[in-house]
Amino acid sequence: MDSSRRQFLGAIGQVSIGAAATVAGANSASAATGSASDGPQPTGPKWGMVVDLRKCIGCQACTVACIMENAVPEDSFRTHVSVYEVVKEGRDPAMVMLPRLCNHCDEPPCVEVCPVEATYKKEGTGEVLVDASRCVGCAYCVQACPYDARFINHETQTADKCTFCIHRTEAGLLPACVETCVGGARIFGDLNDPESTVSKLLKEHEVSVLRPEMHTAPNVYYIGLDEALDGRVAGEAAYRPPLTTNIDHHEEGR
Amino acid sequence: MQIHELVGAVHEAAWLPWAVQYFFLIGMSTTALFLTFPAFVFGRGSSLPHARLALITAVTTGISGPVALLADLHQPGRFWEFFVYTHATSWMAWGAWIVSSYVTLLLLYAWAVNRPAFYRWGQDDWRFAWLFRFLAFGSPANGFARLIGIGAGVAALGILTYTGMEVAVVYSRPLWHTPLLPFQFAATGAVGALGVMLILGRLFATGPIVEAKMNRMLALALGVVAIIGTLWFAVAFSGISQSHTEALASVAGFTVWQRIALWAAAAIVIPFVIALTLPARSGWFTGLIAIHAAWMFRWTVFMGGQAVPKVGSGLYDALMPTGIEGLMGVIGTFGLWIFLLILYTTFVPWAEADLPDDTSATTSAQTARTV
Repeated sequence: MDSSRRQFLGAIGQVSIGAAATVAGANSASAATGSASDGPQPTGPKWGMVVDLRKCIGCQACTVACIMENAVPEDSFRTHVSVYEVVKEGRDPAMVMLPRLCNHCDEPPCVEVCPVEATYKKEGTGEVLVDASRCVGCAYCVQACPYDARFINHETQTADKCTFCIHRTEAGLLPACVETCVGGARIFGDLNDPESTVSKLLKEHEVSVLRPEMHTAPNVYYIGLDEALDGRVAGEAAYRPPLTTNIDHHEEGR
Repeated sequence: MQIHELVGAVHEAAWLPWAVQYFFLIGMSTTALFLTFPAFVFGRGSSLPHARLALITAVTTGISGPVALLADLHQPGRFWEFFVYTHATSWMAWGAWIVSSYVTLLLLYAWAVNRPAFYRWGQDDWRFAWLFRFLAFGSPANGFARLIGIGAGVAALGILTYTGMEVAVVYSRPLWHTPLLPFQFAATGAVGALGVMLILGRLFATGPIVEAKMNRMLALALGVVAIIGTLWFAVAFSGISQSHTEALASVAGFTVWQRIALWAAAAIVIPFVIALTLPARSGWFTGLIAIHAAWMFRWTVFMGGQAVPKVGSGLYDALMPTGIEGLMGVIGTFGLWIFLLILYTTFVPWAEADLPDDTSATTSAQTARTV
């Protein structure tokens, strides 16, 4: 299991017509996991994502797929695509898409602050997860996350976030957002495997991470990310939901 | 370069106004506790009148504060997990232990200080004498109040440290991630505590001398707040501390924040001037402004801080969340606090709280009650 949806569909064509897509996924996941006979591989897969912004069209299919797959409550998102209009001097306005999700950091500030160790980083594969049966809903992790990737789920009253669709990856499937991505912009795979597509993309392209100044060692990488968008975006929000009554209060001076 | 965010997620405030109430009340409680020390720990009789008011403030806010904290949890029934799964890297985890220690020691301290009066009320012939006999545990001795007070003081220092650090370590929010924040919480907490004491002094007619003394102490606390605030801006403008510079930059461009800064300055300067020029006749005015200043500081830090997106553009509307999670939380907590104030001042002989005295074990009932 190491691909975008387009590559995934391509892989299906290479196997016999009777092979189910899930089996193909499971097979490649098993291959990525490796075995004792593969030699001195100390660890299994470490999941990561590369987002190729050149391919994202801002269709929000990933946003919807995530909501449907994970029963994300109304008004909350585990992932979404921010859309910006960027006007550089002397150039025409450009639409820029920026898919956002939990970065499953290697140095996650959310884990450190959790008072009851309900949020943790999974050993090996590296997903940052929440044990909802232990979470007290103090929202300290929501505050600590530099990416606004966490929220309080008002149906469970616990912290909620992207899990890289762990229930799917453990079954050999791709995360829902990757599976559904129309342009093949989201590529998911094993960062430990030098032959994986994500590892090759990281080798072959100049990649960036969001908020590098936070030193969180994210595992979500971006190809083609404009520096002006990698941190807090200093601009104007064209729209805020109804509570906003005076747009003047929401303009940032320059 | 111009950027307009066309599509973006709005993130609601995860720490609700309950949190503001907690930090407001516990800040006042801890600083008020220290204001009881001159009389009840160091035995200075001249400090008794304002120490009694400080003790009322410390106890009532010290109980209602943690209730607000519990309400801010989205799973309040799981509060026991703080003590079972304590995560040592989290300031909040330590806070759970510190808060429970503080409240326990604070209540013990208040009991010890009032024990001689409990004993006396228990000796009288009146309807609730049995209750006060029970509360006195058979003796008026309270020399140990000093020791318990010092213990509560240590816990109070722990509260001031953990509440400040808990917020200051959140580096994802520049406005919170400044080393001066814990000191600002402490100083504004003292302003709020003195504000409450001034109002109580007026309500219970403790007289112009006590009021003038408390107003002078308020002016001192406001002066400290002003110095820390000036230092905050100076460090932010100078660029010597990146976190301060980022904190200022994250809000300076917004009109609403510029107005908040002016409002805050006025909330410091106006009571400061009045407290110094009319110390004996301005308690209502300076007290209410002081309470407002302490509350507003926390509201601005917490709700305003959460209104600044971490990655998106503009501001969220977190400055005034509505409904049960907003206004009702504030009103409910204040309601509980006022109820506790009424309860305490009605059923506790607060005006008879005296200097700790080991020899009082032999003192007999001095007053007579026939209710």
